[in-house]
Amino acid sequence: MERGKLVVERVEGRSTLTRCFSKYPFKFIVPNKAGSSKADAVWIYTITYGGGVVSGDSMACDVTVGDGATAVLTTQSSTKASIGKGALLVVIPDPVTCFSTAKYSQIQNFKVVPESSLLLVDWITSGRHERGEKWAFSHYKSTNHILLQGNETLFLDTTSLEHGRHGGISERLQDYQVIAMIVLLGPKLKLIQSQIQEDVKKLMSQQLRLPSVSAGCSSESGSSYRLPKPSFLASCSTFGPKGAGVVIRVASMTTESVYNFLQDQLASLEALLGAAPYL
Amino acid sequence: MQTVPCMEFVGEANDNKDKSSSSGSLRLWSQWQLLDSILPTGGFAHSFGLEAAMQARLVISPEDLRTYVIHVLENTGSLLLPFVYAAAMSPDTQTWHKLDRLLNAMLTNEVGRKASIAQGSALMRVAASVFSEIPSLKMMRSEALSSGAVSFHHAPIFGLVCGLLGFEAETTQKAYMFVTMRDVISAATRLNLVGPLGAAVLQHQVAPIAEDLSTKWMNRAVEEACQTCPLLDTVQGCHSYLFSRLFCS
Repeated sequence: MERGKLVVERVEGRSTLTRCFSKYPFKFIVPNKAGSSKADAVWIYTITYGGGVVSGDSMACDVTVGDGATAVLTTQSSTKASIGKGALLVVIPDPVTCFSTAKYSQIQNFKVVPESSLLLVDWITSGRHERGEKWAFSHYKSTNHILLQGNETLFLDTTSLEHGRHGGISERLQDYQVIAMIVLLGPKLKLIQSQIQEDVKKLMSQQLRLPSVSAGCSSESGSSYRLPKPSFLASCSTFGPKGAGVVIRVASMTTESVYNFLQDQLASLEALLGAAPYL
Repeated sequence: MQTVPCMEFVGEANDNKDKSSSSGSLRLWSQWQLLDSILPTGGFAHSFGLEAAMQARLVISPEDLRTYVIHVLENTGSLLLPFVYAAAMSPDTQTWHKLDRLLNAMLTNEVGRKASIAQGSALMRVAASVFSEIPSLKMMRSEALSSGAVSFHHAPIFGLVCGLLGFEAETTQKAYMFVTMRDVISAATRLNLVGPLGAAVLQHQVAPIAEDLSTKWMNRAVEEACQTCPLLDTVQGCHSYLFSRLFCS
């Protein structure tokens, strides 16, 4: 299976797409002006002939972001990306929505150097809610692997969702319909990292409550029974040497609230990218 | 309790008892000691995200607790059992360091990561002192401490200790699931979610499921390690936002 190829390099001071190859049924669209021409970033959209992915389809892509360049990918797939020094790769797809009985699997590998920056959003919804499909797919597996200098694993997460003998996926996810993971790594994202950590802490501290006021009291009494579960749950963790990276995990009952969260938190990227993600 | 291979005594006592069968019986005593909650490894400081789950109203009733315990076991099996297995199969320095580094990159939940380090450090310290018949434990520990290159994650150390003590890989992995189940349920009693007797009943009810999950997830390569309960991961990560807390994690 041939892999798609994308190379974004700094040519005469500007991020430029110097190589672009895709194989049917996938196609890359690279608009000349995705946003303000003042920002230096190449936006790459993927379209699929037919509008979706069906059984047996596979999409794989090699991406290279040269030193000092910036690239934005609005899709997710099995990607191998190499991010240079002072470069930024932004991966901001819409969420994966698996239909009933679907099987989906992807592996994203990112090779970085200490001065690389990466924003990665990887998320999934429970399916076609309006059809009553809630976590009805057969299997979902997503691996995200960040390697430093090619050989040291900085971050490796594989999330695997499939039905087990002791509970289906919906039992494990309860009323939450969206699961998201956001990874922020590198110098260009330092400010967003601090802001997001602060905002999540504030947001969650308001949501978490002690089960009951008096000690030793059983769970039947207490006002917590009447308080609903938070419709939006998030937590932040740092990773890597000296907390170089931040990973945010989200579980939400609505897709809209996650879009809003992403819009708000990533709004400041407009200056770097020419347009804000998830508008 | 799983029987250890060299435990077959046929016929009357014999002065020239097979060396392996006496070390086999001693192994059983070491197994029991390792799994006993009285071993000072600090397991009781951790709730495996249960405290945060309760404050987020994800776990309210004893039924919710049962479900929660099963999910913790599923995630332990999928993410950590491969590390226990690999360390138990090759209980040597190089393998241990490699597994520790990889797990550090895979425990992306900071709360869970710190808990793993705290429990692993405590277990290594206790095992090096207690199982003095294995001098390599003490050696590996002091080498790792002075190099500073090892985080001391729990799962690889558990596998390492069991491997060096001569436990079978299957026993070791089931034992890891057992101590996890033991500690979550114990945390539940201290959080007043269930009483001590109810906890014991629950533990016995969940045991066949723990056995099932152990069989499902055991003997896998670390490259296959994955997390299967992202909600658990998200909620455990909220532990540091709790205003008032009993547990470290």
